[in-house]
Amino acid sequence: MDITTADHEEKTVLFITGRIDTSTAPDLEQAINRQIDGQKRCILLDFSGVTYISSGGLRVLLATAKKLKNPGDKFALCSLSPEVLKILKLAGFTSIFSIYPSEGEALAGW
Amino acid sequence: MPAGNDQLTSLAWQPLPGADGAEIYPLIRKLDTISSNSYLIATCDALILIDPGGLPEQAEALAQVIGTCREEHDRPVFVFLTHAHIDHFLGVQPVPAFAHSGAVIFAVQECGALSLEKGDSSITQAGLFSTEVSPMKVALHLLTPERSACPNTPCQLAFSNSAEITITRDSAGEGSESLDRETIRFGNGPPLEVYHTPGHSPDSICLKMGSVVFCGDILFAASPGIAGIAGWSQDDLIRSLTGFEDLVAQGTTTMVCPGHGRIIPAANASRMITAVRTETVALENIAELNSTRAAMAAAYAEDCMEQINELFTIMAGRLYYVSWVADELGETDLAEKTADIISGQTIDGLMEAFQAFSKEHHTSGESSILLALKAGQVIAKLRQSFDQDRLAQIIDPGFVQRAGRLLSDYITLLRGFTPPTDVVARDIRVLTETLVTGLSVSACPDADLLSCDDDDEAFASILLARIGGRPLLEDVAVSVRAEEDREYLGYIDADTLCDLLTYILEDLTGSNASRITIELGQKERDVVLSVCGDIPPGSRPLQLKTKRFLPALCERAGGRLHVQKSEQALRFEIRVDAAA
Repeated sequence: MDITTADHEEKTVLFITGRIDTSTAPDLEQAINRQIDGQKRCILLDFSGVTYISSGGLRVLLATAKKLKNPGDKFALCSLSPEVLKILKLAGFTSIFSIYPSEGEALAGW
Repeated sequence: MPAGNDQLTSLAWQPLPGADGAEIYPLIRKLDTISSNSYLIATCDALILIDPGGLPEQAEALAQVIGTCREEHDRPVFVFLTHAHIDHFLGVQPVPAFAHSGAVIFAVQECGALSLEKGDSSITQAGLFSTEVSPMKVALHLLTPERSACPNTPCQLAFSNSAEITITRDSAGEGSESLDRETIRFGNGPPLEVYHTPGHSPDSICLKMGSVVFCGDILFAASPGIAGIAGWSQDDLIRSLTGFEDLVAQGTTTMVCPGHGRIIPAANASRMITAVRTETVALENIAELNSTRAAMAAAYAEDCMEQINELFTIMAGRLYYVSWVADELGETDLAEKTADIISGQTIDGLMEAFQAFSKEHHTSGESSILLALKAGQVIAKLRQSFDQDRLAQIIDPGFVQRAGRLLSDYITLLRGFTPPTDVVARDIRVLTETLVTGLSVSACPDADLLSCDDDDEAFASILLARIGGRPLLEDVAVSVRAEEDREYLGYIDADTLCDLLTYILEDLTGSNASRITIELGQKERDVVLSVCGDIPPGSRPLQLKTKRFLPALCERAGGRLHVQKSEQALRFEIRVDAAA
């Protein structure tokens, strides 16, 4: 799994590629936590390159949603593959955070 | 590892219980199908190796231990096989210390000995594991018909390595003596008793020296992926288990050394034998586990594991979601208890281990049976790792039941049975409408929640079920179109059809379909059920499970599946035979 970061004013986009599984989920959590520790409170995860997510990955998403629930905080995902979207939908996660079809639509909606 | 009174220490010499002057050097492996445990016994007159294993490195290590023993005190070497399956002996073939004809005396039951001398690939299981066996000399055939004609008559045998033994065929009796048996004496040391225990294979034997029984694979003989292999016999196994049980129940037996896994105290072994016999009795009419069935099981294993992975990830995710909502509501205790019902970490670990094994398997081109057995191991652990009843009280029971069915169907198939179906004439319209209604509304109506507002525990339980039981089709418009007041009777297995439709509806929902249309019709002698979902413009295509999994499921339901995919829509057509 690779993660690259881009800042758009106060918004931060993390581009993730590869599999989010037991071995890579902690790396994702650390990368997100670094942003939060740096006072970034609007985080968008671009999942266009994510091919697989395990329950360990879901746990990281939920932990992030818990950290970013103050007024003014934002946490969302965009560009999900249908396979990953299906998992998040059926797990009920679509009511915890927003999911956008593309990065452009996500940033425009914030 | 320190050993207790009922254990032996692996890779160390220690007294062999009940056998004066004899010592044992066990090599206990982590349980797998590649190689057996090995047991080396030293008496004053012989070195006796039981099951040298399937790996050359294991055989080489044993050869070194034997070499050291012979330097200290030269004695003839005998290698006994509890049966001639490759995981118990193949490792010796490339090792010079064992391969040199005549230096080591191999002792195998008559039927296995003949198979080894021919380099047979069936009884040895070499064919199933896509490997080859070189013909090998077996100097000591055990339990031969010739000796059975002269019971209680000691027979002196001399071998090319100067070894001499006395072997006596014992007469038949009751209990363990109902097993064909003979006793071997190596000089003045303790005798070795040999019992014929066919069933796992025709040549299976148990050996006893002192108070220790070496039982080969009889305790695994009813396991999925093992029952039904070439040479397996249910009738023989049941008879052997009865005699074996008596052998273990004798006060003179203290421990049982199996072909795989840890040493078993005699009392525990008795309980295990009872369980194995119960399982064996249930194994009537199982299909032979040959290369064709192994390949089929391996293909089904991969499809099955993909679905199991998805379902377990969704179920774990759904629990996290319930826990999250409970936490938001200030129900911290409830949130913690809920999150613990499934160990996501355990499940991820098991699934990722299988995925890695599968990837390596395809790279190396190993035998299908290994993949099928690995899936069996993972599924057995998964079955132990989640509490179906407790889970179904919180999240949509449909997920839990489907996961349970996938796990049990795979074990059924690996055992050699066809997973049960009940194809009868059913009104497909009623089945479809009931399913769609069930997937569209909450399983816990408001009235249930309101009715228990004075009972905290019941309220919490219903609250969790309401959160966890979010209906699949709550955000999708689904219409069922059929002729008014008409029955659509077709021959179908109702449960499997409902599973199939649920998988299809999940795929369409996952593809972000906003509208799903289900149509019922009749074409010639078929009832046709089509499920069509619109696909939002610009969506990435979903990797459909249509290659093997859904068509196979449809076939088991009693129907045929056809899928049409265009840029705007996905259409699944299920045809079943119409009932008159």
